[in-house]
Amino acid sequence: MASYDLIVIGTGPGGYVCAIRAAQLGLKTAVVEKRATHGGTCLNVGCIPSKALLHASELYEEASHSFARMGIGIGIGKPKLDLAAMLKFKDEGVDGNVKGVDFLLKKNKVDSHRGTGRITAPGHVEVTAEDGIVTTLDTKAIVIATGSDVARLRGIDIDEKRIVSSTGALALDKVPGKLLVVGAGVIGLELGSVWRRLGSQVTVVEFFDRIVPGIDLDVAKNFQRILAKQGMVFKLASKVTAIDTSGKILKASVEPAAGGTAETIEADVALIAIGRVPYTDGLGLDAVGVKLDDKRRIVTDAHFATNAPGIYAIGDVIAGPMLAHKAEDEGVAVAEIIAGKAGHVNYDVIPNVVYTYPELASVGRTEEDLKAAGTAYNVGKFPFTANGRAKVNMTTDGFVKVLADAKTDRVLGVHILGPDAGNMIAEAAVAMEFGASSEDIARTCHAHPTLTEAVKEAALAVEKRAIHM
Amino acid sequence: MKEITCRLLVIGAGPGGYVCAVRAGQLGIDTVIVEAGRPGGACLNVGCIPSKALIHAADEYTRAVHLSAGKSRLGITAAKPSLELAKTMAWKDGIVGRLTNGVVALLKKAQVKYVQGRARFLDGKTVEVDTEMGRQVIRAEVIVIATGSTPVELADLPFGGRVISSTEALALKEVPKKLVVVGAGYIGLELGTAFAKLGASVTIVEALSRILPLYDAELVRPVEKRLDTLGVRIITGARVKGLAKADAVAITSTDGKSSTLAADKILVTVGRKPMTDGFGLDAIDLDMDGRAIRVDDKCRTSMRGIYAIGDVTGEPMLAHRASAQGVMVAELVAGEKRAFDRVAIPGVCFTDPEIVSVGLSPEAAKAAGIDVKTGIFPLSANGRAMTLEREDGFVRVVARADNHLVVGIQAVGANLSEMSAAFALALEMGARLEDIAATVHAHPTQSEGFMEAAQRALGAAIHI
Repeated sequence: MASYDLIVIGTGPGGYVCAIRAAQLGLKTAVVEKRATHGGTCLNVGCIPSKALLHASELYEEASHSFARMGIGIGIGKPKLDLAAMLKFKDEGVDGNVKGVDFLLKKNKVDSHRGTGRITAPGHVEVTAEDGIVTTLDTKAIVIATGSDVARLRGIDIDEKRIVSSTGALALDKVPGKLLVVGAGVIGLELGSVWRRLGSQVTVVEFFDRIVPGIDLDVAKNFQRILAKQGMVFKLASKVTAIDTSGKILKASVEPAAGGTAETIEADVALIAIGRVPYTDGLGLDAVGVKLDDKRRIVTDAHFATNAPGIYAIGDVIAGPMLAHKAEDEGVAVAEIIAGKAGHVNYDVIPNVVYTYPELASVGRTEEDLKAAGTAYNVGKFPFTANGRAKVNMTTDGFVKVLADAKTDRVLGVHILGPDAGNMIAEAAVAMEFGASSEDIARTCHAHPTLTEAVKEAALAVEKRAIHM
Repeated sequence: MKEITCRLLVIGAGPGGYVCAVRAGQLGIDTVIVEAGRPGGACLNVGCIPSKALIHAADEYTRAVHLSAGKSRLGITAAKPSLELAKTMAWKDGIVGRLTNGVVALLKKAQVKYVQGRARFLDGKTVEVDTEMGRQVIRAEVIVIATGSTPVELADLPFGGRVISSTEALALKEVPKKLVVVGAGYIGLELGTAFAKLGASVTIVEALSRILPLYDAELVRPVEKRLDTLGVRIITGARVKGLAKADAVAITSTDGKSSTLAADKILVTVGRKPMTDGFGLDAIDLDMDGRAIRVDDKCRTSMRGIYAIGDVTGEPMLAHRASAQGVMVAELVAGEKRAFDRVAIPGVCFTDPEIVSVGLSPEAAKAAGIDVKTGIFPLSANGRAMTLEREDGFVRVVARADNHLVVGIQAVGANLSEMSAAFALALEMGARLEDIAATVHAHPTQSEGFMEAAQRALGAAIHI
């Protein structure tokens, strides 16, 4: 029987990163993966394929619309779309990434066991391969990194053809005429954007009376306005109670969240994107007595340890935002803890990005958080319309917003709605890790002409001394 | 005309001057600014902004060409694009117009008086300006010289006719069939790349042995590769002798061989020099530092009450350095304690891919006697780069070997100019490798490359 220092169950971004870090630190490490490929949701059916489609559809839309003003004419009519080729491009991107993970695991001498992992007792993992062969592995420590699964709506069956989750929405064989998106979170808005750009009429139904719950409200409102201008239709404070699949066209019953008269929305495809739930099925957690909370997340202490000896958990399967980079950081931290070092994750500074156009990136507190906590704060805002680079790139939608403590000027939150916000938020994250004041950002020389000058100006605006406004 | 007296007079309304004046106005200082040309200076009118507009249009055109050639792996095909450069230029001029009007509005809002005309020093406290309405004398307690820089001319190849500077290149109405660029610094390469993408056959001639001599070879390699793909011909170690015929340039290579290059336009980009002529500088006889005005760490010149900021004070000639100096001088005049001690002034080269450099390169650090550790992370191992179809380039972090203090960060890659702020901030905050490595970077973004480079320097990179 093979014996290890550490077995990681699940090779998504949390799991594989944890295994690599553990191996770097000299632990004899193995991973267990149920899927045919490594990389988990993120690489196979999440972050990476969606970004490939977002990139491709953005180019398509750009070729359709924005050339003329720059003196670029483009023949007669619109560019043509070969969806099968576009999806192939996406699949190649996924393939390149998952092969990369295989290579990294091998390079770090991490053993890979293919099959479904089950913890039979602390220190024992049983792996059942697809052909039914069972292998038993011994280990000193176990990290559960099994991730999450699509949340479902009661009474609505996801067939991944007409009623799809994000997985199916990444592989539609034709552009739906009408797409109904249920849930105005990150996934719904990103994939909604992809299909809108490729020609779908998109309606988004959201239970709350706002989009992207959890994001700063002022930012969310502006974001919604921009998306609406692009043609996305929103029905807020509404819920989908049923979808009639009997006809050729789907008929969704939508009623006010508080209850009331239902209306029917027709669609060719419905995307259910109401969130994700922790995935612990078949892990045998009952047998070893690992505790779950009321949302079925594994309960851990500050060092990622569950209540069962030698069993740890990280990523989507525990509390906190379901983000690949949060899982990765937890993976590194837990590997270091198991190796006897001091691993740590700062949950106050975890950036969050929505890859629509414009992008929405934020880190730290929102205005709502600060009001709820009774913290006095100052706001600095700067619009991209006043930024030279944004003007020449014709991407002036959005703004940067910096929230700083009224007494100490410490930066408490940064929210960027604008082009390339995902890359720009790294500056804010580093600043907040250093406990920077808005003045620290304001006094750092920012290159001209770049979009990042808007971050500096927003920091200046905290003390009401922006230059370009 | 009635004399104007004021507390602060700024000569030149480029990114150094107008930012200085706006900040001074915010601080309640009675301020006047004089500009001979259009507000915004070289940067807004004939530099950073119009060049980035042209580069952006050229990138879009290349994409359209790529789509029409059926080469796109994305499943998009389009009809063959056409280009009307005059329209592109009109679009660019529209943006420039909006920005320069914006500068006027900002000055007005800050209650700065704007005087149009050429200024000339009479003495250290007095300037006369030739305005449309006649001679205007302005007396000021403090004067800031922010006159910027102008393109350097080659004695053997004076500007005029086919021989153009960046200013004329940004106003061409047609794409030249054959473009020879003399000087492979960032301006020559940015514009040369843009015109190559718009369809010109471009040859770049450089006197030194390699292109972008300011950057190390490792950083430049991805740019060279892309230039090669775009069909740009590069001739290094060659000197330009002059015009051969009306439509060709004569060059001599290092081994003494002479040849000619046919050219519809010859773009000379051999550098910029401080603008110290035409405003009566000899009347006040300031100490110079070569061609530049000598200043101390507070931008004070050798004469009390006269400051100089930006390009006129020499290298690095960057708009954002000028702006930072301008803000500092305004605050000094307001009585605040300030000194210019920036750890990091980011330098960005908007080539394809873009180059960003902040702080010391590995060679510069070694030359300074610092024992360094470097970490390089290639974008080919970055998921976002793959989905953007741009895996060329890398991020490199340079840190002291003993205490891991980051002393420099360089990167080359598509769109990495927007990472420059994160790099500069890290240096300004005195980051150690561990600080960068332990900051959560959003997935999937190119910025993960920054974190991984720091991790790699620590021997703990995950994705390589």
